[in-house]
Amino acid sequence: MILDPVLDLFRGKAVTIPPLDGAFRPNTRLDDAPAFAELTEPDNLLVSGDRLLASSGNVIHSVAAGATPTVVETFPSPVTALAMSPSGELAVGLESGKLLVAGKEVSLPAEILCITALAYAEDGTLWLANGSAEHAPSQWAADLMKKGASGSLWKRDAAGGDFRKVASDIAFPYGLHPLGRDVLVSESWRHQLVRFDGATGSRSTVLAHLPGYPSRLSPSADGGAWLTLFAPRNRLIEFVLQETHYRQDMLSQVPPAYWIAPALASSRSFLEPLQCGGIRTMGIHKPWSPSRSYGLVVRLDQKLQPQFSLHSRANGTRHGICSVAERDGRLFVASRGGDCILSVATGGF
Amino acid sequence: MSFRERLQSWRYNLVPDHVVGEILTKRWTDNAIPFLALVATLATFGSIIPGFFKLTALQESTRQLGEFSMVVTGMTVVMLGGGIDLSVGSIFALSCFSAVYVFFILEQSVWLALAASLATGLIFGAINGYLVGYLRLRAFLTTLVTFIFGRALFDILVTTYAADVQLSTATSDVLDFIGDSTFWGLSVSVWLAIILAIITHIALTRSRPGWHVLAVGGSRRSAHNAGIRVRRTVFMTYVFSGFCASIGGFLIACRLSGAGPGTGLNLEIMALTAAVVGGVSLGGGRGSVIKGLMGAIIVLTMTNGLIRLGYGTGTNQMVLGIMLAVAVTIDIRWLKNRHKVLNEVYVAPVYLKMGETQSAAPGSGTPYELDNRLSAANHIGLGELEGPEDVILDRADNLYCGTRHGEIVRFFAPDYVRSEVFAHIGGFPLGLAFDKSGNLISCVGAMGLYSVSPDREVKRLSAETSRSWTSIVDDARLRDPNDCDIAPDGRIYFTDSTKRYDAHDWALDSIENRATGRLLVYDPKDGSTKTLLDGYRYTNGVCMAHDGKSLFFAESWACRVHRYWLEGPKAGTAECVIRDMPGYPDNINRASDGNYWMAWLGMRTPSFDLSLRHPDMRKRMTRRLPQDEWLFPNINTGGVVKFNEKGGIVEAMGDLTGGAHPMVTSMREHKGYLFVGGILNNRIGRYKISGADPNWTSPASYWGAKP
Repeated sequence: MILDPVLDLFRGKAVTIPPLDGAFRPNTRLDDAPAFAELTEPDNLLVSGDRLLASSGNVIHSVAAGATPTVVETFPSPVTALAMSPSGELAVGLESGKLLVAGKEVSLPAEILCITALAYAEDGTLWLANGSAEHAPSQWAADLMKKGASGSLWKRDAAGGDFRKVASDIAFPYGLHPLGRDVLVSESWRHQLVRFDGATGSRSTVLAHLPGYPSRLSPSADGGAWLTLFAPRNRLIEFVLQETHYRQDMLSQVPPAYWIAPALASSRSFLEPLQCGGIRTMGIHKPWSPSRSYGLVVRLDQKLQPQFSLHSRANGTRHGICSVAERDGRLFVASRGGDCILSVATGGF
Repeated sequence: MSFRERLQSWRYNLVPDHVVGEILTKRWTDNAIPFLALVATLATFGSIIPGFFKLTALQESTRQLGEFSMVVTGMTVVMLGGGIDLSVGSIFALSCFSAVYVFFILEQSVWLALAASLATGLIFGAINGYLVGYLRLRAFLTTLVTFIFGRALFDILVTTYAADVQLSTATSDVLDFIGDSTFWGLSVSVWLAIILAIITHIALTRSRPGWHVLAVGGSRRSAHNAGIRVRRTVFMTYVFSGFCASIGGFLIACRLSGAGPGTGLNLEIMALTAAVVGGVSLGGGRGSVIKGLMGAIIVLTMTNGLIRLGYGTGTNQMVLGIMLAVAVTIDIRWLKNRHKVLNEVYVAPVYLKMGETQSAAPGSGTPYELDNRLSAANHIGLGELEGPEDVILDRADNLYCGTRHGEIVRFFAPDYVRSEVFAHIGGFPLGLAFDKSGNLISCVGAMGLYSVSPDREVKRLSAETSRSWTSIVDDARLRDPNDCDIAPDGRIYFTDSTKRYDAHDWALDSIENRATGRLLVYDPKDGSTKTLLDGYRYTNGVCMAHDGKSLFFAESWACRVHRYWLEGPKAGTAECVIRDMPGYPDNINRASDGNYWMAWLGMRTPSFDLSLRHPDMRKRMTRRLPQDEWLFPNINTGGVVKFNEKGGIVEAMGDLTGGAHPMVTSMREHKGYLFVGGILNNRIGRYKISGADPNWTSPASYWGAKP
């Protein structure tokens, strides 16, 4: 109505989020899928030849069907990003801000402290997403709740040399998907996918108003991409983001696990915040209730438009999906909140 | 405490924000806008026009007002019945002419002139009523037709007989008295208008036909389904409107001793504007005679004032049109949004800094440490039951509980598989207790304190206490009676958790956190109910101490348990025995080992505790987010805690998986088992307590081994 802006002064402007509709229509495919492997907080997935590599904490595991994951390599600090070059070199980003390529440490500019994603373009260019200038990757929640927008995008040419900053002031770049000379970046705190020009660094928004916080991107067999959203948008969280005093007190006085903030898994402790809709009533936890965690994988077509999605809803357990990998008609889904890797046939969609 | 926080605590604890919401729940707030408009109009014209309130000017205005307000009263009744009457102006004019014709041309008595007037009005009203009510034509078009027809007839008659009236020599003292004299300072027309308004008001608010009119206007179909004769009711409203207009016409005939082409011109627009401006809803069913009168005064003041300021008819019409448009807009928007406004302003949070608490987390090593024991409980009534807030067992080991359907269900010993509805009360039966003679006493949410005899006879014991002096919403009514227990002398002590929210909205009270919980006592000897304590944050469980000399009661949102002394030196006072618990206490009951069981309905969370220190944040949250998104205490995890006579914690158990007993609102020990209920659960749990006395029962503990 025409009077709404005036009335909002008195009644408060409604906090709204995009609905789960169209390509984001909810289903229970992630909860229905069988667990391919049990692994504590699997983060990155990577297909390497016929092996599936998965990072979990400080360790990279090799995962195969019907077998317990075997340790490939152990690092001094948690692994935060993985990528495989066209020539078969493994690039590993660590929580401590170090980058190893083929086992050798690469010297990085001092600004890079938060490696959230790595990706090789077809010509061998290595893209690097630096999530935040202030926080380590594990402190992502603090970065969000402090409204951080200090992330940056870096690249190193195939010929070698130093990393060069392509763009800065990105609100937590969390996923990379090279597109020829350009790169598609998931800008998590702004709920959007942005395309950066490889030469000039100029940005253009590809997909905005996502219903969750986008994380890593990976290529799909038909030339499109898979997008993971590690947590849902939540109206209470967006409201708290606008409440300066409460938010500052929360950051300083409440342990991070119990913040009103997105999470990779929820309802594990009675000290976590609860919203009215999430109350268990008559033994039922409503799947559509507001939640701090959710499982969501979205398939993007070649024009980078969403086609369909796989869900684990508020009452499910396969939450906190940060990475997927497709191989031979199967999609592997790493659920950090569900402590497992799922395997879904891509032919059935 | 920071300066900002101190300011917040003053702002939200000292300013009574909740009053606004409570006032808005009152029906009379509908009158506020027209009343303010009335005051504003009178003040404006009174100050602009010198001598506006002078007696002579007022005398003339009030005569006009008397005639006009009668027409408005008729219009109000039609609109209340869901219709509209555009023909009042022409009926008014024709009635005026009838009176003039009978008196001046036929030279009959004044009373015959009155009769002719009334007959004209009634006939035209009946025509309208028949067409609209019985033939069910559109009110707007039908009365428009009557209006045009009546006006044309009047114009013809006036031009034909104008000269004859002028030449007539008929006079009458009665006519002059009605037209020009005053009676106790007021003119006859004003007196008549007042009498008519009072009678109509009483009829509308206190008589069967009046209620029928309001019911038909509110919802025609519902009124029909309720057996009201809708068509006749509608018919009668038009007849009444014709009647009112005809009296007005007679009065103006007396006042002006004639009829002219201007008589009753534009009257229908003025009357309609007056009714709508006064707040009578165009949709029907809402409004009152008083509102109509307020509107009449506003409109008449406005038009007369404008004329005296030198504005012409055009301006006058324009102002009327604008007033009508504004009033219609406000009427529709207000009706549509009133409940939204109420929702948004009703929750008025206060500031509270909760005390530091010990952890209840597993592995914390405190006495409150919760474990998973309750998840091992067997299920009773799984899937059949909805909302067993409290559970209780009788001497024959049968199990009773309330449900959210307003029933008390009985499960039969020994296996508790077979069940029956023991009694239907309605509301939401919460706390239960057996008295000495085996009557089941229940606190019924939203209703009051009830008793069910062993042969299932339901009897209301209490539904109100005395009203406090400063209340706006009637707080004598029991809004959320929650738990009860019975003293050895038979008096029933019970809690009414909040004055602000109804029983089913109990969790909203935690957002507001205003201290309005009460402890009450019902005396079966004289049937009286007294308030013992007031001003607690959600009083909940009540339990008589083992020696019967004091009782424990829980204060949920403050996470405290208090002891209220019934006798001894501290009789009549309460003291806090457990404070700053990590969970929100609910019902309290006796344990076999001389201790007490206490249910925790939920757990404190750091984020919610912090929000209690940010009342402004909670207020904005209630306005900007839908209720499902609001931050709540964590009521998905509860537990059962045992404490001793001195308030020391003995042990705690819970169901951390949340699968069987996420929220616990009650528990009752019986022969070595603990029966566990939850207000949002779909089962009762039966848990074997290790080391408990296998013969101990609650009825025996209260009333002796055998009755």
